[in-house]
Amino acid sequence: MVELVIGAAFFGLLALSLVYRIAKGPTSGDRMMAVDACDNLLCCAMILFSMYTHRGIYLDISIIGAVLGIIDTMLVGRYLEGSL
Amino acid sequence: MVVRIIIDVFIVIGAFFALVGTIGVLKMPDTVCRMQAATCIPTLGVICVSIGAILYASFVLHSAENAIKIAVIAIMIVVTNPVGSHAIARGAYRADLRMDKNYKVEPDDYGRDFYE
Amino acid sequence: MRKTQFSAVLSTFILCMAVWILLTWSFEIQELAAGVIVSLGTALFSSRFFIHDNAFRFLNPLNLIKLVLFGFVLLKEIIKANCSMAARVLGGCKNVNPGIVRIPTDMKSDYGLCLLANCITLTPGTITMDVAEEDGQNYYYVHWIDVTETDRKAAGDVIKSKLEKGARRVFD
Repeated sequence: MVELVIGAAFFGLLALSLVYRIAKGPTSGDRMMAVDACDNLLCCAMILFSMYTHRGIYLDISIIGAVLGIIDTMLVGRYLEGSL
Repeated sequence: MVVRIIIDVFIVIGAFFALVGTIGVLKMPDTVCRMQAATCIPTLGVICVSIGAILYASFVLHSAENAIKIAVIAIMIVVTNPVGSHAIARGAYRADLRMDKNYKVEPDDYGRDFYE
Repeated sequence: MRKTQFSAVLSTFILCMAVWILLTWSFEIQELAAGVIVSLGTALFSSRFFIHDNAFRFLNPLNLIKLVLFGFVLLKEIIKANCSMAARVLGGCKNVNPGIVRIPTDMKSDYGLCLLANCITLTPGTITMDVAEEDGQNYYYVHWIDVTETDRKAAGDVIKSKLEKGARRVFD
């Protein structure tokens, strides 16, 4: 099914276009929010690519990304708030 | 054949909402409004793509392991996303937006109750 | 420091063991024994940090059915809010009118407050920024992208009336 890899490439391109916001973003809150959205998009892309290649190893990487993606977001949020 | 059409429909809906979220992040005027638009990505984007991938794993690949793993990924993203979003909103309000003279919202109960 | 309860240890152990089996996906006796040892250590150290209530609340089928029904209510609200956010973004991101309002809520327990705050954040268009208590009444501070009501109680009805009705059935 070729549409799975087309979807994966589309999600990858969306994540790549968020690099503009990460590089430019006027404040650090903007940058961290864009990193969070980028993480979710890459999890989706990895799910679709794993279904295309029939390999389960990408799903393990995606689980780790989904679990650990929250930690850096919360760390930077707490740091900006000043209560770390 | 019918299953493949259903899978394609779910993936296209998920890709559409991810596109909406990305355009919102790139074009909205200030930090918290960008965050509101970015909430589209982990809700309907991730949910629709995961439903499509679960259908593909169960009806085409016949592998229960992959289906359970995808369901765990979707539940994990949907449950943990609001926590990070809440932390970033509070941090951005305290660190950046309060100092900015151009930032003005009409009913600002939070700034009035906590910082004045 | 909170005391370690047996039910909290048991439920944390079951959760850790499920994640272990999911990640390894092999049912040999050696892998399962290693998983039991690691999960038991993790449960003994960390259970008192995240189970503060009755740990087997959702083994009661009535509570489980209420939770699933609340999931459907939440899904409907999410789809409605996503469509309105899509119209707003594709219309050029011009018609935004942001504001932070303070809305009163009727939830009492900690788990209920946390559940309702996360559900409000999960619908695009509203983000909960803080929770405060004043004279026995709990308040949320909600950033709202399109302020149509400035009165606090009416704004609270617009934002969370359906979600709160479902969430009160699950907790409290």
